[in-house]
Amino acid sequence: MATTTATITLSSADLTGDALSLSTTATLTKGGTLTGLDQTTGVARKFYSSAQANTTLIAAADYTAGRAHKVYIKNTSTTASEYIKVELGASNLSLGFLYAGDWMFIPYDGENDIDIDTSDVNMTVEYLVIYEA
Amino acid sequence: MASIRVGLTVNSSDVLSSPLALAETFSAAVDSGSLIRAKVKGTAADTDDLLVYKANEKNDRAYLYIKNLAPELEQYIYLRNESEGNNPSSKIGGGQFAFIPLAPDKDCEVVATKVDTLIEYGVFGNDNSTVSGKG
Repeated sequence: MATTTATITLSSADLTGDALSLSTTATLTKGGTLTGLDQTTGVARKFYSSAQANTTLIAAADYTAGRAHKVYIKNTSTTASEYIKVELGASNLSLGFLYAGDWMFIPYDGENDIDIDTSDVNMTVEYLVIYEA
Repeated sequence: MASIRVGLTVNSSDVLSSPLALAETFSAAVDSGSLIRAKVKGTAADTDDLLVYKANEKNDRAYLYIKNLAPELEQYIYLRNESEGNNPSSKIGGGQFAFIPLAPDKDCEVVATKVDTLIEYGVFGNDNSTVSGKG
């Protein structure tokens, strides 16, 4: 059984009078069990030479629906104005915007494609899916 | 202007034949945000949803951190984007968390599979003073 952990930290010395310092860790397990997720795409990158609209980055058909998969997506751009819009499903439900250097980490149930729009040409998206059969 | 630093590490020694060790951080200039613990009462869309982010409360971008504090993985919470129907955009099990740069012009609401599911969340960004969650 594989064991994968994810840790997120949030810190700020100057946002509030009491310094913000949060760290939380989750062991990534299969839905309804304590067995670890055991399959992964590895950390992958896709390069888009042209601006994209509703382009499938992660296809639901590749994953069993209704499971406890996890997804990481990053905009590797260093140009502040360049963003990736992340969308869910055929209706392109807007999930949010990843500006230069931004990333997201979300649970993914494998029921809808994860699509992206890119704001500019020559953009690279980094992603990772950790999943179960 | 204040700043917030956000980090993510994903580690595994055995999910691949070589170790997986992903580490990412970024800093963002923000002027508002806080961490909150609250109970989610609603178990169906549009009935006692917990509003965690009000549309346009932040300018440009709104970073959401959310953790389901339920003790059991099967006790889920669902994130909903009110302005785009009742379809959940994320399903988070007990003990699990997510970090999402929200679409800043959309509401974000939470419902749960069990009444009074405890969550922890925070939304960080630059405050839009023309939009307030208060009366």
